[in-house]
This record gives sequence, structure tokens and C-alpha cells, in this order.
Amino acid sequence: MLARTCFAASFRPTAATPVVLDFLAPSTLQSCRLYNSTATNQSAASAASSAQRSSGSKPRYALNANQREFLDSALRVNQAGELAATLIYAAQTPQVVRSHPHLRPLMKHMYDQEVGHFNTFNHLIAKHRVRPTAMYPVWYAAATFLGWSTGVMGREAAMACTEAVETEIGSHYNDQVREILSWKAEAERRGEELDPELEEMLANFRRIRDEELEHLDHAVENDAKEAKPYDPLVNFIRYGCKAAIKISEKV
Amino acid sequence: MTRPTSLLTLTRRGLFHPSTPRTALPLAPSAPRNHLRQCQPQSQIHTTTTQPNSLTTPRLSQKTSPKLSPKPRAYHSDHHPTQPHDYTNSQTTILSAALHHVPTHGFSRDALTLGCRDAGFLDVSVQLLPRAEFDLILFWLASRRGLLRSKVESDGLLLPSSTGGGPVLSVDDKIQILLMERLRMNAEVKDQWQDALAVMSLGENIPLSLSELHALADDILNLAGDKSVDASWYSKRMAVAAVYAASDFVMTRDTSAGLRDTEEFVARRWADARAVGNKLTGVRECLGFMGSTAVGLGRSWGLKI
Repeated sequence: MLARTCFAASFRPTAATPVVLDFLAPSTLQSCRLYNSTATNQSAASAASSAQRSSGSKPRYALNANQREFLDSALRVNQAGELAATLIYAAQTPQVVRSHPHLRPLMKHMYDQEVGHFNTFNHLIAKHRVRPTAMYPVWYAAATFLGWSTGVMGREAAMACTEAVETEIGSHYNDQVREILSWKAEAERRGEELDPELEEMLANFRRIRDEELEHLDHAVENDAKEAKPYDPLVNFIRYGCKAAIKISEKV
Repeated sequence: MTRPTSLLTLTRRGLFHPSTPRTALPLAPSAPRNHLRQCQPQSQIHTTTTQPNSLTTPRLSQKTSPKLSPKPRAYHSDHHPTQPHDYTNSQTTILSAALHHVPTHGFSRDALTLGCRDAGFLDVSVQLLPRAEFDLILFWLASRRGLLRSKVESDGLLLPSSTGGGPVLSVDDKIQILLMERLRMNAEVKDQWQDALAVMSLGENIPLSLSELHALADDILNLAGDKSVDASWYSKRMAVAAVYAASDFVMTRDTSAGLRDTEEFVARRWADARAVGNKLTGVRECLGFMGSTAVGLGRSWGLKI
């Protein structure tokens, strides 16, 4: 055993041709190069130190595997949710506006905001190479049907649908903001800081959550509570949303 | 002094590094087994007599360590470099030395043993790689994939200037170039490649082979600049993987100069894949158009739909 370790240690410097080993350090990351030849168990420490060198101020808070997983599923769910929201508004608008023309600016305002959110998450998904949900076509059809059917049931039902959906989505965003804030608190305890991407994402999540809750207020102002079978309708949509969120987190 | 432990603990693809406390538990059951492997009588003959066993032991290890089946890497970010690989230093040293012997000895134990000798290890260090030949194949695939990435990102493979200063390449052109570039890397082991394909198609090797294929398709599409965020994410990866796998097989029997036959095959298959995609898009658009027409017709009749 001792002999073998000596062998390994003595021959390590002449490890291999750099070309073959290049895959060990994806060249998207220049800082990654720095620890490409060090032992893997020191990579975390050297990553932190290289980040420190590059930023000059506090060391960067390094995400662990669970946190990556969380962001992965969070972005996937959010994209699916915004897709659904966009489609619901698009399907509701004609019927609602037809009988209540004064709601046209409101519906357009809410729709435009949802499209903005959807684009934000599409961008993030592409940037971070997150897998979009495999249920995409299913959510597409389900959301269109939900929007269309509540639109047919009238303005109150459409607003009740908005209320139910935005309640779920708002609390979901709130949970995500809380999670990222807990990372931030942990980073501060350790004297580190979140990277700018996460800070930006946190700001985006907060803004989007506030806009979703604003839609909720608009819906309640427009007689969402007057919808005829209020409780069954709202509960059905809320549980549907919850199930969709759970499914989208996984697949 | 961390060297002895890094030699003993066989950190493999998909396993997180043992130094993180979170993974200490899942690693524990596999540690005694690795220890046993180390204590086996160490001779060249022994490794050859256990050859039939080597087909069953990897499956066992896959069952005991569920994390072995690699997950697609989650949440890429420039600020958080992904752990690039899970091989220990000694494993990469042996494997990359063994790759030099592949053209002559194939993806075999002989190549691994020669690689061990070249790197200054004892012959018995082949035991560091419990999946033997398959580990060598996986290392080949992963390192070529990394090479492809570095060719694009460092050598500017896809820049317009490198391809004759023509117009900016479309995503489809880039995908074809990348597929062909990757296939050309296999040219030097072309004669050994059918054996490698056979090993990859063994039952217990299929999950890792497929995930490596997915990783390649994912990388090719990312390098080509594909930004699909809907269901086409899946169909595009499947199309690229299918075209690559088929062309890979065709290439093993290609005797033309400069792999011309393979190149034409890739072009044809990719054109087919695009044709199917366009057809599906057309059908979907047609259905959507008919649906919206029906709804619009109903609305024009005064129905409240």
C-alpha cells in the first residue's frame, strides 16, 4: 500500500496530456482552470479563494447540490406557471372583454405583465441550462381550457379563477424568496455574499410576486367573490395548481 | 496526507465527493466492499480469471449506490462551477494513459494494464476501475465531449472566420458541424469502436451510456446556441442523439476517404429529422388554426364562447 502511494505521488506531476484532460475543466469557467489539477477535495476551498481573488471583496457563497436542485426545480415550476398564466389570460380576455368592455385595459395590463414574467423565466431557463418541464404540452392544453371555460362562465368566474391561481402562485413565490433569503442570511453569517445572478434573481422573484399579488387584488375588486359556485370552483383550481406545481418540480 | 484515502475510496461518476459530510452515509456501505477488492490476491492472472465476474459486480455496485446513475447537471451558472468530474487523480492518470493504447489494443483490459504501467502504477491498479473496459469507454466519451467543448470555446470552431469567412452559421449548420467534428474524433479508434458499442449495449451499461449520449446531445445543442425552452427541448435532444448514434454506427463500416460517406449520412439524417419536425409543426399549426376558426365562427354567430 505504501509503495503504491509513493508511486502515485511521484508520477502525479506527469499526469497526462492537457488536451485529454481538458474536459475536467469546462472552459466556460476560467476560474475552474485554477483547480483543475488539484485534488478534488480541495476544489471547494480553491473555488472560494479564486472567487475571492476575482471579486476583490467578500468571498462568494458556493451553492451546494441541494440548492442547485432547488433552483433547478424552482425555475422549471416558475416557467410552467407563467406559461399557464399567460394562456389563461389570453383565453379569458375575449369573453370577458366582450360583455365588459371597461375591463379591456385591466386584462391587457395583466396579460402584458404575465408575458413579461414568462420571458424572464424563458431567459433564465436557457441561461442556466435548466430542463423545461416535460408536461409542457399538457399544461398548455390545460391552461387554455381553464381560461376558456372560466371565461365562458362569466366575469366573476374568470376573476375567481385569477384569484385562486394568483393566491397559489403568490405563496409559491413567497416560499422561494424566503429560501433564497435564508441562503443570504447564511452567507452573511459566514462573511460571504451571494453572486450577482442570485441577487438579481431574488429581486426578480420579489417583483414578480408583488405583481402577481396585485393581480389578486384586481380580481377581488372585480367581484371574484361573487362567482356562483365560489368555494368548489376556487378550491378545485387551487388544488389543481398545487398538483401542477408538485408535478412540474419533478418532471 | 490525503493520498492513501483517495486511492482507497473509489469515488466514481455520480458519487459526490466523500469529504462533504452529507454524502458520508451513502458512501459507507460501499467502503468495506472496496476494501475487500483491494485485499484480493493481486496478480495479473487473477484479473483475467475474474473476467466473467466483472459482468455481475458492476451491477451489484449500481444497486448499492443509487447515486451512480448520473443526474443531469442542474442549474448551470458562471458563478458556480459544476464539479467537473468524479474521478480521483489516480483514476484519471491511469485512464488517460490507457487511452494511448486504445488504437492498438482496443477498449480492453490490456489497454488499461498498459496504461497503468505507463503511469507508473502496478498492474493491479486496474482494480481502481471496477467497471474496467466500460470505465475506459466512458472516459473516452466524456473526454471527447470535453474536447469538443473546448474546440468551440477556445479554438473558435464555429466562428464564421474558421469556416471560410462565410455568413453567420445557422443553428442547424452548427449542429451538423459539431456532430461531424465529434464523429471525426472517433476516427482513430474506428476499428475498435464496434466492440465498444457492444460493451455499451450490455444491460447494466445502458443507463450510463444513454446518459452520456444525452450529455453529448445537450452539449451539442448548447454549443450550437439552441435556446429552446418548450417541449422542443426534448425532441431536439432526441433528434441529435438519434442522428449521432446512427452515424456512429455507420462510421464503423465507413471506408471512404475523409469519412465522406459518414458526412453525407449525417447530412441526410439531419435533413430527415428537420423534415419530420417541420411536418409536426405544420400539423400543430393547422389544428390550432382550425380550432381558432371554429371558436371565431361561433363568436360571430353570437355564441358566448
